[in-house]
Amino acid sequence: MTSPGTNLPAAIVCAISFVVGLLTVAVFRYVSDQNAIRTAKDRLKAHLLALRLFQDQIPVVLRSYVRILLATGHYLRLALKPLLVVVVPLTFLIAEVDRFFGVMPVQAGHAFLVKAHADNRETLNKLNLQLPDGLVSTAPAVHVPSHREVVWRLVGEHAGDYSVQIKSSDEPGLNKSVVIGTGLSRLSPVRLKGQLWKRIFLSAEPPVPESCAIQSVEVLYPSREINFAGLTWNWIWLFLVVSLAAGFLFKSLLGIEI
Amino acid sequence: MKPRVMERGKRSRHVLAYALVLTALLLFPLPGHAYAGPGAGFAVLSSFWSLFVAFLYSAYAFLVWPFRQVFRFFRRRKAYGKASVQRAIILGFDGMDPELTERFMASGKLPNLAKLREKGTFRKLRTTYPPISPVAWSTFMTGVNPGKHNIYDFLARDLRNYMPFLSSAEIKGPKRSLKIGKYKIPLGGARIKGMRRGIPFWHRLGDAGIFCSVIRVPVTFPPEKFPGVLLSGMCVPDLKGSQGTFCLCTTRGDVDKFREGGVRVAVERSGNLCRSYVPGPDDPLTAGSSRELRLEFEFRLDPSKHQASFSVDSQKFKLKVSEYSPWIPVKFRAGLGFSAHGICRFYLKSISPEVEVYVTPVNIDPANPDLPVSHPVTYAIYLAKLFGPYATLGLAEDTWALNEEVLDDDAFLAQCYANHEDRERMLFDALEKTRRGLCVCVFDTTDRVQHMFWRYLENDHPAARGIPVSERPTVIEDLYQRVDTLIGRVTEQIDDKTLLMIVSDHGFKSFARGVNLNAWLHQNGYIALREGSAESGDWFENVDWSRTRAYTMGLNGLYLNLKGREREGTVQPGAEAEALKKELQQKLAGLVDPPSGQVGITRVFDCDAVYAGPYVSNAPDLIVGYGEGFRASWDSVMGKVTSHVFEDNVKAWSGDHCIDPQHVPGVLFCNCKIAEDKPAIVDVAPTMLKLFGLELPGYLDGRPWNVAGSSE
Repeated sequence: MTSPGTNLPAAIVCAISFVVGLLTVAVFRYVSDQNAIRTAKDRLKAHLLALRLFQDQIPVVLRSYVRILLATGHYLRLALKPLLVVVVPLTFLIAEVDRFFGVMPVQAGHAFLVKAHADNRETLNKLNLQLPDGLVSTAPAVHVPSHREVVWRLVGEHAGDYSVQIKSSDEPGLNKSVVIGTGLSRLSPVRLKGQLWKRIFLSAEPPVPESCAIQSVEVLYPSREINFAGLTWNWIWLFLVVSLAAGFLFKSLLGIEI
Repeated sequence: MKPRVMERGKRSRHVLAYALVLTALLLFPLPGHAYAGPGAGFAVLSSFWSLFVAFLYSAYAFLVWPFRQVFRFFRRRKAYGKASVQRAIILGFDGMDPELTERFMASGKLPNLAKLREKGTFRKLRTTYPPISPVAWSTFMTGVNPGKHNIYDFLARDLRNYMPFLSSAEIKGPKRSLKIGKYKIPLGGARIKGMRRGIPFWHRLGDAGIFCSVIRVPVTFPPEKFPGVLLSGMCVPDLKGSQGTFCLCTTRGDVDKFREGGVRVAVERSGNLCRSYVPGPDDPLTAGSSRELRLEFEFRLDPSKHQASFSVDSQKFKLKVSEYSPWIPVKFRAGLGFSAHGICRFYLKSISPEVEVYVTPVNIDPANPDLPVSHPVTYAIYLAKLFGPYATLGLAEDTWALNEEVLDDDAFLAQCYANHEDRERMLFDALEKTRRGLCVCVFDTTDRVQHMFWRYLENDHPAARGIPVSERPTVIEDLYQRVDTLIGRVTEQIDDKTLLMIVSDHGFKSFARGVNLNAWLHQNGYIALREGSAESGDWFENVDWSRTRAYTMGLNGLYLNLKGREREGTVQPGAEAEALKKELQQKLAGLVDPPSGQVGITRVFDCDAVYAGPYVSNAPDLIVGYGEGFRASWDSVMGKVTSHVFEDNVKAWSGDHCIDPQHVPGVLFCNCKIAEDKPAIVDVAPTMLKLFGLELPGYLDGRPWNVAGSSE
C-alpha cells in the first residue's frame, strides 16, 4: 500500500492526462476533416469485410489487402494534420511535465553522482568541484579521459535546493542546481552548452557559456516511479493510458471521429 | 485549367509542409514525440489494428486456400466442368418495355442496346399471369409458375376477415417477452417468415461452387442463406414495418393521414424556429397498446437565404428550398437500451407561406441493420461502409409522395436517380468481385419512372391535361438513354467469355382509365352491400358477405366467396364455383368502357388453368387481364365499392403493367444468339442452370434456351 502522499504524483498525472485527453480530442474535432476521416475509416472497414465475404477468391483477397494498405495510409494522412497541430504544444507540455515526474530529487543521506563533460582531455585535470554547506563528497573524483568526463560522488545531508560550482583553474566557475529532498520539484538534470533541442527537452537552466571549457554538467537523479492501480508506472505510460482512455470517453460522448 | 493548376500548387505546398515537419520530427527524435495525444494515438492504434486484422484474414485465407481449392475442385468439376460460360451477368430493368426500346433504338438513342441486338439477341420476353413485379421476378428466380412459388400479387387476403396482408413476407414480434408492469421486454429479435416458395437458381449454382452476387432482385426478403452474397430488394420494409411511409411535416392545419403511403405531422413554429418529429416504429416495450416512437427534430429558417438549418439527432445540416439532405442516420430510442436504427433524407419543400419538410420513409440502416437485408448480414454493412448509406426499402422511390403531390416531378426524379446511382456503384463492385460465376442486379428506376411519367408520353392522358405537349419533359426517353449508357459501361468491362443478359419482368402501357371491378360486381349482383349502403369504404367496409358471391382486391385477382374457405363463404365449391367462374369470365371479357368504346378487360383467366403446383389453393380464382390503357382503379385495389365502374386516372402514377400479360411482355437482350422465338421469363432459371452445366430439376416449368457461343 502507498500512503496518500506518495499517490499525489499519480493524481496529478491522471488529472493532466484527463485534461489533455479532452483538449486534444476537441482540437482533433475542429482541425481534422471529420467527414473524410469517417469515410476513410468506413472504406478501411469495407475492405476488411471484403476479405471475409470473398475469401474464396484469392485475387479479391489480394486486391483487398492492397486497398487496406492504401486506405490505412490515407487514414493516417488525414490524422496527420491534427497531429501536427497538437504535436508542438504537447511536446513542450510533455517536456515540462517530465521535469516534475521524469526523475525525483535525491533523498538526504543517499549518494548520487555529478558528471562533468569537458571539451578536451587537458581540461579534465583542471576541474574541481566546490560544494555548498549540506553537500559532501564521499569519494575522490574519478577521471574518465576516454569520455572526457569527471565524476563526483556526493551525499546531501539535508533537504534543500543547492548549487554546486565546477571551476576550471583559468575560468570563472559554472553553477549547477542540485535538489535534495522527497517532494515534487521542477528538476533540471543537466546543464548544456549549445544543443538547443536537447536543452529544451532536458534542461531547465541557462546554457553553459560558449567560452567555458565544459560541455555539460549532469546530476544523476533517480527515476520516479508512480504507483497506480496496483502497478508501478513511468509517468509517460500512465499519461498514455489515461489520456487514451479519456480521449476515447470524450470522443464517444462528443461524437468525434478519430 | 487554371483552378486545377492552383489546386495542384496548393496540394504541393501541403505536401511540402507535411514533409518539412516530419523531417524536423525525425531529425530530432526525442521521447516526447513518441506520443502526441489520444487523437494520434487512436489513429496509430486503429491503423495497426486494421492491418493486424487484415493480416490475420489474409493469412487465414492463404492457409486454407489450398484445402478449399481441393475441396472446390471436386465440386466445381461438376459445375464448371460442363459449363459453357465461366461468368454470366444478368441485368434486370424492372418494367423495361420492348416497344419503347424498339422505338428509341430506331431513332438511334440507344446505341449500346442496338449493338447487342445486332450482335446477339433481342426478343420480347413473355411474362407471368399476372404481369406484376413480385410475381414475375419470383418466376424469374425459381423457374416455376406462381402455383409453385406462391406469389400472386403484392397483397394476399386473410380468409378470416377479408383483409389484405403482404404476400411476400410476414414480420412478427419476438416469440417470447417478459412482462413487467406496463412494459413488455422482448426476449429475442423479430421473426421474419418468407412466403415465397421455390428455390432461386443461384442457390443451386452456389451449392455447386459457383460464386453468385445477387443485388436487389425483388422478393428476396427475408434474405435466404446460400453460398454467395445477396442484397434484398423489393418487399424489404421500412423501419415502421410498412412498404414505405413518408412523412410531411407542415404548418398547414389539416394534419391527418394521406390516402396512400404517408402521414402529415404538425410543425410547431415559433418565429424562425420550427419543431417537428419523424414517426418511427411502434415502441417494443409497450404491452397491449401500440405507442409510436418518435424522433424529434428542429430547424431554424433563414428566409433571406431561402434555407433552413436542421438539427436532427445530434446531426446538423443546412438545406436550401427544394434540396435534399444526404441520408441521415437516426435512432428511435425506446428506453431500457432498446432502440431502432434507420436512415432517412430530409427535403425542404417550402418555407413560405407555409413551412413544409418532406421526410423519406425511414429505411433500415444498412450499416446497422435491425432486420437482415442481406446475406450474409455483413454484405449490407460492407456496401454501406464502401459507398455510404443507401436505400434499403424495397420500394425506395417514393411514388406515393409524387402521387399525393407532396413531391414534384424534379424532386421525385432526384430521389430516383440518387438510388439508381447507388445501385450502379453496387453493380460495378459486384462485377469486380465476381470475375467467375454469376452476377445479377435489378434496377427499379425503370419501373418507377415509367409509372410516374407515362402521362407525358401521350397527348390526351387525363393526368397531363392542361400541360402543353411542347412543355412536357422527355423523362422516359432520358431514362432509357441512361439505361443504355449503363449497359455500354458494363459491356466495356466484360470479356468474350462473359455472357451478358438484359431482362425485364414486364413492359408498360398507359393507365388512363381505372376499372372499379367491385363496383361492376356490385352492379351485377355479385357483391351485396349492407342495407342502406350505396357504396362501401376501404376493405369492404359495408359489404354484406352473407350475400356476396365474388370480390376483388389487389391488382388483378378476382376471388369467389367460397364456402369452407372464406369465413362467410356463400358459393359451394365444385360445380357452382366452376359455373360462377365461367359466368364471370364470359361477362367480364370484352367489357367496354362506354364513353370511348374501348375494351377495358380483354381476357379473364381461370387460375386452375394457368397455374399448377402445391400453392394454387392460395391463388385468386380468376386473374383479370385489363385492356391497354386500363387498370384496376385505386379504389378497387383497396376493396372499395363505388357507384361508377370506369373513371379517369388523374394521378401522376399514369403508366402501368397490371393488365393482360399479352400486352406487356418484357425484354430480353443477350450478347449471344438465343435460338428461341418466344422466350419466357420462366426460362431464365433453367437456362442459367444449363449454361453452368447443372442438371435441371424435374419440377421446373421453364425450358432452357439454346444459347450459341459469344457474340464475338
